[in-house]
Amino acid sequence: MPVSHTRYFGTIDYRDESVVRFPHGLPGFAEETRFLLIDQPVNEPLVFLQSLSRPDLCFLALPVLAVCPGYQLSIPAEDLATLGLPEQPQPEIGAELSCLAIVSLAEDRPPVANLLAPVLIHWKNRRAVQAIQAEFGYSYEHPLFAEAAPCS
Amino acid sequence: MLVIRRRAGESILIGDDIRIEIIETGAARVKLGITAPRDVPVLRNEIRLAGEANQAAAREVTAAALSRLVDRLRRT
Repeated sequence: MPVSHTRYFGTIDYRDESVVRFPHGLPGFAEETRFLLIDQPVNEPLVFLQSLSRPDLCFLALPVLAVCPGYQLSIPAEDLATLGLPEQPQPEIGAELSCLAIVSLAEDRPPVANLLAPVLIHWKNRRAVQAIQAEFGYSYEHPLFAEAAPCS
Repeated sequence: MLVIRRRAGESILIGDDIRIEIIETGAARVKLGITAPRDVPVLRNEIRLAGEANQAAAREVTAAALSRLVDRLRRT
C-alpha cells in the first residue's frame, strides 16, 4: 500500500481508491493535483483533503449538505467537463458525487465554510474540481455556527 | 472608476496591447473577448477570491482547535 506523510495524521497507508485528482489544481494551488480524502470516524463529520505532494498542505472540509441542507448545485460547463459529467442536467450530490465545503479556522474569528466554491469529487473516475458557483449567492465565508444563518 | 457604455462588437483598449471586446450581451451575462500579452495574467475575480480563501483555509490548525471544532460540529 502506498504511504504518505500528512499534516495531521503522521505517516499513513492509503488505498489508491482514496486518491482524487484535480486536473487543474485548486485556485491558489494550481500545482497540487493529487489529494487524499481522509475521513475517519473519530473526526466525523469533518474530512481532510491532504495533498500527496505537499505534506504540509491539508484542507479541512465538511459535506456541503451538512452545512446547508438545501444546497443547490450550478456547476459551470467547464467544471462538469473536468469531472467527466454531462452538461445537462445538473448532477445531484450523492454516492457518486461528493460535494465538500472547505472550512477555514482562524484564531481571531469563528469558523467559516466556503459555500461559493465547493470541492466536487466524481467517484466513478475520482476526478475533482473546485467549482465556483456564481448562481445562488452563496458565501466564501459562511459562518458554521451562526444562529440561523441562511446559506444564501 | 471609468464607466463606458459599449455595444456588442465594440472594443476597449487598455494601454497599447490589451484589448477587450464585447462579443455578446444578454439579459444577465456579457461575453467578453480579451486579447493581452502572454505575461499579463487574466483572471476572473472570483478565481482570485477562491485562491485567497484557499490560502486562508490552508493555514496551520492546532490539534486543540481541531478537536474543539469536531466537538462543536457534533453538538449542532
